[in-house]
Amino acid sequence: MNVLECRDLTKIYGKVVAVKNVSLGIGKGQTKVIFGPSGSGKSTLLRCLGLLEKPTSGTIYFNGIDVYTTKQDLNKLRAKIGFVFQEPSLFRHLTALGNVVLGLKHVLGYSEDEARRKAMEALKLVKMEDWANYYPAQLSGGQQQRVGIARAIAMDPEIILFDEPTAALDVELKWEVISVMKDLADRGTTMLVATHELRFAKEVADEMIFMDQGEIIEIGTPEQFFRSPMTERARKFMAKLLG
Amino acid sequence: MLFLLNYSDFLINGFITTVQVTLIGVGLGMILGILAALGDIYGGKIIKIIVNIYVEFFRGSPLIAQLFLIYFTLPALTGIRLDVITAGYLTLALNSGAYQKGYLKGAMEAVFKDQFLAALSLGLPLRKILMYVVVPQALRIVIPAWSNELASMAKSTTALIVIGVREFLNTGVSIVAQTFKPLETYLFITIVYFIWIYSMLKILDIVYDRVKIPGLEPVI
Ligand SMILES: Nc1ncnc2c1ncn2[C@@H]1O[C@H](COP(=O)(O)OP(=O)(O)OP(=O)(O)O)[C@@H](O)[C@H]1O
Ligand SMILES: [Mg+2]
Repeated sequence: MNVLECRDLTKIYGKVVAVKNVSLGIGKGQTKVIFGPSGSGKSTLLRCLGLLEKPTSGTIYFNGIDVYTTKQDLNKLRAKIGFVFQEPSLFRHLTALGNVVLGLKHVLGYSEDEARRKAMEALKLVKMEDWANYYPAQLSGGQQQRVGIARAIAMDPEIILFDEPTAALDVELKWEVISVMKDLADRGTTMLVATHELRFAKEVADEMIFMDQGEIIEIGTPEQFFRSPMTERARKFMAKLLG
Repeated sequence: MLFLLNYSDFLINGFITTVQVTLIGVGLGMILGILAALGDIYGGKIIKIIVNIYVEFFRGSPLIAQLFLIYFTLPALTGIRLDVITAGYLTLALNSGAYQKGYLKGAMEAVFKDQFLAALSLGLPLRKILMYVVVPQALRIVIPAWSNELASMAKSTTALIVIGVREFLNTGVSIVAQTFKPLETYLFITIVYFIWIYSMLKILDIVYDRVKIPGLEPVI
């Protein structure tokens, strides 16, 4: 059974069809990569899957349960779906540690001490334990993203969605975030990652999903995409990415 | 100025009234401002319209007219008669709330854009998002605007003289009526106002410095 799955998901903003009839599923322990040109609907799809936005139509299943028609407690489910954003989105009034502690304390109900201990573990995983008491504005973009990842993993989610977590970073800062994500994938974390980092995709993705204009154009293994994509659009886009 | 010592109890009471009216006006105004800002951001169409009529009305008309309206017109329409001090609290709170709504809405929106989804993704319910993410940041951002509001409200309390509240300036007027010494009396009154307002502003500066967080500067 898939941890997270959508069937015929469509999201329309006014006249813009941002996501059109998308169906996909992520099984336990899998890493899938979504890629595609700007405006192809990656962020919108991820926000819908993260239950941060309601799809216009279609069904979302979490562990096989239809989320919307069975009227699930969305906040309970959101806590089980980690989300890492494109723009660093740390809470600016809290330290790195405070950012990770917040959900543990106020969503999962940990005591202050337990929450801090668990938060420090998560910060260690992303190699940010020495920066625990710094505020977001005192950290580099890459460091902020790693804290953002720690904030997500500390909740022990069943799946983590990443929305181009390195797109806003300088080249030198990308690798530190990517390497943290690779560690997570190697450890068997279930993840769906929107990214254009092809090396990451090649090394860890079980499957790559190419989107364009809101639709899934092609699904395949990294080998397939690197050797010879089946569709013309995917071929052109891969060629552009590989420069 | 020594003759003023004869009136010290009278003056102290007047001063306490002024301080009370200011703090309660701004305090209640802050609650109203927060509610109005939240209503304007999240409320439905009707709530938004009500909030905006309220804000525009209280920002767009003279305070003294508002005092008359609430002290004289409201009882005539509703039959509820307010004593002068309650009418004073209510008017100042409504007036201050209308201004504070503006600052608070700006601050909340600044916090809101990128932080709301992040908090939502952790599974926090709206109430906790507001409590732990939006309001703590918005209040920090708004402190400088808020000290302006406190200073301006402290001065606005003198308008209460028109409905006969015994605030600080009004005690001065009574003393002048008895002693015929306007020069000393009003000089004293003005200096006290100045020292009081100045020290409140200084204290807020210190508070702001202590709760200030790198990267969370006010957006003005
Ligand atoms: N909140 C919104 N309101 C209106 N239109 C939106 C909104 N969010 C996205 N869109 C539109 O939906 C389409 C898909 O946008 P989306 O951000 O999902 O693409 P993307 O693949 O994530 O692009 P990028 O690579 O630039 O992040 C775009 O045309 C965009 O303008
Ligand atoms: Mg995007």
